[in-house]
Amino acid sequence: MAPLFRWFLIARIVAFVFPMAVHGQEISSRPAARCASVVDNQFADEVWARVGVQKCLTCHRQGGEATKSRFVLVDPRKVDGAARDQAMRSNLAAFTRMAGVKEKDKSRMLLKVVGELDHGGADVLKSGSAGYQVLADFVRRVNSPSAAPATAARPDQKAPPFFQGVAMLDDRRLLRRVTLSLAGRLPTEAELAMVIRDGQKAMPAILNAVMREEAFYERLREGFNDIFLTLGIDGNADQTVLSYEHFEKTRHWYQKHDLSHIKDKDERQRAEWKIADQYRLAILGESMRLIEHIVRHDMPFTGIVTADYMMVTPFSARGYGIYDEVKGKFKNPEDPFEYIPVKLKALVGRSKTENQESATGFYPHAGLLGTFQYLTRYPTTETNRNRLRARMYYQHFLGVDVLELAARVSDAAAVTAKFKVPTMQAAECVVCHKTLDPVAGMFQDYWRFADQGVYGKRKDGWFNDMFVAGFEGEDLPASERWRSLQWLGERTAKDPRFAVAMTEHAYTILTGRKVLLPPGDAEDPLYPAKFRAYAEQHHLTREIAARFAATGFKLKTVFKDWVMSDFYRADGLITVVSEPCRKAELDDVGLVRMLSPEQLERKIRAVFGEKWGKLTDQLAILYGGIDSKEVTDRATDPSGAMGAIQRTLSNDLACRHVANDFAHPAARRKLFPGIESGVLPGASVSGDQNIRKAIVHLHERILGSYETADSVAVERTFRLFADIVKDASAQKGLDKRENYFCRPKNQEGKESGSDDPHYTLRAWRGVVTYLLRQPEFLYE
Amino acid sequence: MRRDFLKCCSLTGLGLAIPRQSVVAWAPPKKDSPYPGPYYVVFNASGGWDTTFLMDPKGVNGINRLYKEGDILTRGAHMYAPIRKHAQGGMPNEDFFAEFSDGLLTFNGLDYSVNNHSPGARYMATGKLDSLAYPTFAALVAACHGATCPLSFLTFGNYSATGNLVAMSRVPYVQSLQKIALSDMVEGNPKAPYHDAFALDRIEQALRGGNEARAAVPRLPRAERGENMLYAAQTNSKALQRASQYIPSTIPRERLSQQAEIALASFKAGVCVSANLDIGQFDSHANNDTDQMKLIPEFLAGIAYLIRRAGELKIREQLVIVIQSEMGRTPNYNPGNGKDHWSIGSVMFFGKGIRGNRVIGATDEKQFALPVDPQTLKLDKAKGIRVRPEHIHESLRELAGIADHPLSKKFPLGLTDKEKLQKFWG
Repeated sequence: MAPLFRWFLIARIVAFVFPMAVHGQEISSRPAARCASVVDNQFADEVWARVGVQKCLTCHRQGGEATKSRFVLVDPRKVDGAARDQAMRSNLAAFTRMAGVKEKDKSRMLLKVVGELDHGGADVLKSGSAGYQVLADFVRRVNSPSAAPATAARPDQKAPPFFQGVAMLDDRRLLRRVTLSLAGRLPTEAELAMVIRDGQKAMPAILNAVMREEAFYERLREGFNDIFLTLGIDGNADQTVLSYEHFEKTRHWYQKHDLSHIKDKDERQRAEWKIADQYRLAILGESMRLIEHIVRHDMPFTGIVTADYMMVTPFSARGYGIYDEVKGKFKNPEDPFEYIPVKLKALVGRSKTENQESATGFYPHAGLLGTFQYLTRYPTTETNRNRLRARMYYQHFLGVDVLELAARVSDAAAVTAKFKVPTMQAAECVVCHKTLDPVAGMFQDYWRFADQGVYGKRKDGWFNDMFVAGFEGEDLPASERWRSLQWLGERTAKDPRFAVAMTEHAYTILTGRKVLLPPGDAEDPLYPAKFRAYAEQHHLTREIAARFAATGFKLKTVFKDWVMSDFYRADGLITVVSEPCRKAELDDVGLVRMLSPEQLERKIRAVFGEKWGKLTDQLAILYGGIDSKEVTDRATDPSGAMGAIQRTLSNDLACRHVANDFAHPAARRKLFPGIESGVLPGASVSGDQNIRKAIVHLHERILGSYETADSVAVERTFRLFADIVKDASAQKGLDKRENYFCRPKNQEGKESGSDDPHYTLRAWRGVVTYLLRQPEFLYE
Repeated sequence: MRRDFLKCCSLTGLGLAIPRQSVVAWAPPKKDSPYPGPYYVVFNASGGWDTTFLMDPKGVNGINRLYKEGDILTRGAHMYAPIRKHAQGGMPNEDFFAEFSDGLLTFNGLDYSVNNHSPGARYMATGKLDSLAYPTFAALVAACHGATCPLSFLTFGNYSATGNLVAMSRVPYVQSLQKIALSDMVEGNPKAPYHDAFALDRIEQALRGGNEARAAVPRLPRAERGENMLYAAQTNSKALQRASQYIPSTIPRERLSQQAEIALASFKAGVCVSANLDIGQFDSHANNDTDQMKLIPEFLAGIAYLIRRAGELKIREQLVIVIQSEMGRTPNYNPGNGKDHWSIGSVMFFGKGIRGNRVIGATDEKQFALPVDPQTLKLDKAKGIRVRPEHIHESLRELAGIADHPLSKKFPLGLTDKEKLQKFWG
């Protein structure tokens, strides 16, 4: 195979390499010897990934600082399919061409990268660094094609498949994972029968059904709010989201709402407060309801940047002053949380200067981009000039963290002082601002600050000391300014990065973590292993994204693809892995997600029939939750504080449910349908068999593990039960009834079924406590 | 990572909940000894403080509108801006330096290198600009000195990445600490246990057996980490009950003081190694002087509160305090009377192992950083270096005795020996 063609093939895998950032990569121990690369990939995996995309592309591209140099690269992330392959071919050609150029017997390229020959980017690589060595190898190969690479990054053609030796979830456990994750419930008997009968082939149909359940849409909103955080708007939404300028007469409608039918003054006041609370929640929920609407109706997910409507409820519609227009569309006009799509008319201000321009007479909706909530959550300031919005736009919709693009500036203060407009003149600043500022300009007519709403033009016109409004080199035509966000949304939907970003969001929702970024430390001996881990995951991400785009951007297909993937199903190892490189490859494999407070409450409801109800507010934050405002990242590892909450939770749930479950007729029990509480261990063979069967049931219900009555795990649980009963028999003065706090109450509120003469009820409570503290319950 | 934990804890002599080999599960602590200190506190002025209104006063070239160069005050080696007349509440510089300058080390002319909040915060917190994987200093020192402490690394904001070395704890309110302190008791009532002691012992024994059994089968690295951390979190959480006795009955109103109380109760109980304390809104693009005159005194008052309360709790001598922000403010005012981002600033230190009454580094009359000779710590325009966060972090690691710790080695700061600041702590 010709080297060029081979590199070209590999380039398909890594064409979306992202520069600079590192995510969870440096933690593995470093072996003495460098890990071997998997295939002969010097250009794609080495030259391009380590040097090209990280050090060169930022400036050496169309529109970049070095656009007029003889070395101009193409960003393969911005194109798709054959165009992307062509981009990598073009880059290889550019590198090859430049590698052949010499300056007094020395490679011009190698001199440039260390800052010689007046390189505009100064020293992007240190002589002797791993990146430099990679480039030097490449130069040597180009100039002497028969030469073998000098570095240790040699091909390893015998490398096993990435998931070789990794055990996958069996079908029943996969089903449980899916129904709990996406619908907050246990599998039904019918679903279990389907997977037992048809194996994985049953999953697509089951997934289709699961993703039509209401609970799925709740999960969807929660997951996307973790990303967009639009619930995290400060203050009362009727004042911060709806401006005085445009909604002066309607935003406080609840204050004049007719509640005269409530005679008691205090009760009337409470009713008004309740309406106000529901109204504010309804406003806050609109953005995520837009996502729900798109997914529920299997509409193209590009709608999150192109939808020409917004979502309102009967309550929020009143705030916008459109209730009378749209009330006929609601199924229940009294439901504060029934959302329907509507088109808002162009805004009319208290003064004419604040009227919104619109060629259609309507507000230029652009999916989430133009919602008042998104614009309020990410506000602008006089000096920020919409750059926060531009940054969040890139991050949310194209998966690009703009702040990671720029490397260190040699003397940022001097640059700031030297140039009149550093963001347009200083190369160090232009790197980012040439991308960021045009998008910031797209938001130019949303120029109102905190508590003043979002829409409004800047009195003196948009800033002249910023790159003009546009997107990726295309200027916004003046005629399109009134609908700038729609113009941006249309281009976003066509950008290949959009599909990838949405696929990555789905992965985050399913796993609780972001996709891997390419390793940044070229000196790390584990670099090839880490890069392989990244490339494998990224390759699949791109495959799923491609299907997503090819099938009309139906988001449910992305969830289905991820669920059926090896990354989601990986569950263990067949044999111990001790080799550092392989460990590094597998470092991020496996779901192993500590459940969030919301997920844990849902799982508790699924297992016990009701939520614990305590993982809210302060305790939710303490348990790693978010408030979408100041705390925006969920904790992924349990601290001691969270361990304490887990103890309380397991104690309390067992206390609440064990005796209570036994108090019900056997047919209605969730935990102990096949045994009575008084069965003593060791008293009879049949009694012990009965206890073991009960334990098998508990393992399945609480932990999702399918044990046999003689398994090691069941034996351990049996011993716990038996030992507690035995220890109790040796205690003197023990109460013959269940703990006061754990006694069941009948419908009249009187104690019932709390007798526990042999301590078996409390021993079962110990068993349930024990099971609830295990990772199989607390993790996904 | 498992071995690193083991090494780390063997260094500290703490009880472990850590396996020795891959087939051995994490064991509960052999002894339940409280972590004795030092206690590391990072105070962060989030948003970017105006150092010229604090420890790096100028009063020239229009840098400050509230005072002139001749108004600048001194206390020992420290120079500071006079703000008593303008301060809105809190503690003015005059009082802060009068009380603490003897123990205070200031570094002026720190080159943050960037002008944006996010990378700036990351850089100041970790010493590494171009990686999302590095742990903050507070997390790193917690992992090295007390990974098994139940609240080893507390954070109230600011960049708080842990590098997967240690769990991060958020305790939003003092009352939250009380809620979790007695987790095996009904509603935290010490007289109302859920389980009889013998039953609870059996539960713990069974969990230990289950944990050992899990460790005996091959696991994915991620599963191994997760299961070990979970078991350790639950096992070590019992130590939280020690904290309940130090939770104050009266809760201060000020936000930093509230954070300080949670951190101090956790320190005193020996369940915490480090804490990020943070207040925001320093990003004074509009009306810089008004904002900074409100926030700087509030910030200083919070620091003073922590130190004084630590004295009352008799742990002041064990405190190590870093006082920082992610950027400075420009030497000129913008048209909105605000100041924008400036990549030059300062950092202050106080506490155990730090010789105070010293100022290292400087900025010139236009608020540019002056190079420092890392060997002598004197200004040297010709041969000095631009001191950046990695230099500060290397020194912090040395101060904490973790510079050569295996966990620190995982996250190298890339300095040569010649670049390291010598005798920085005096």
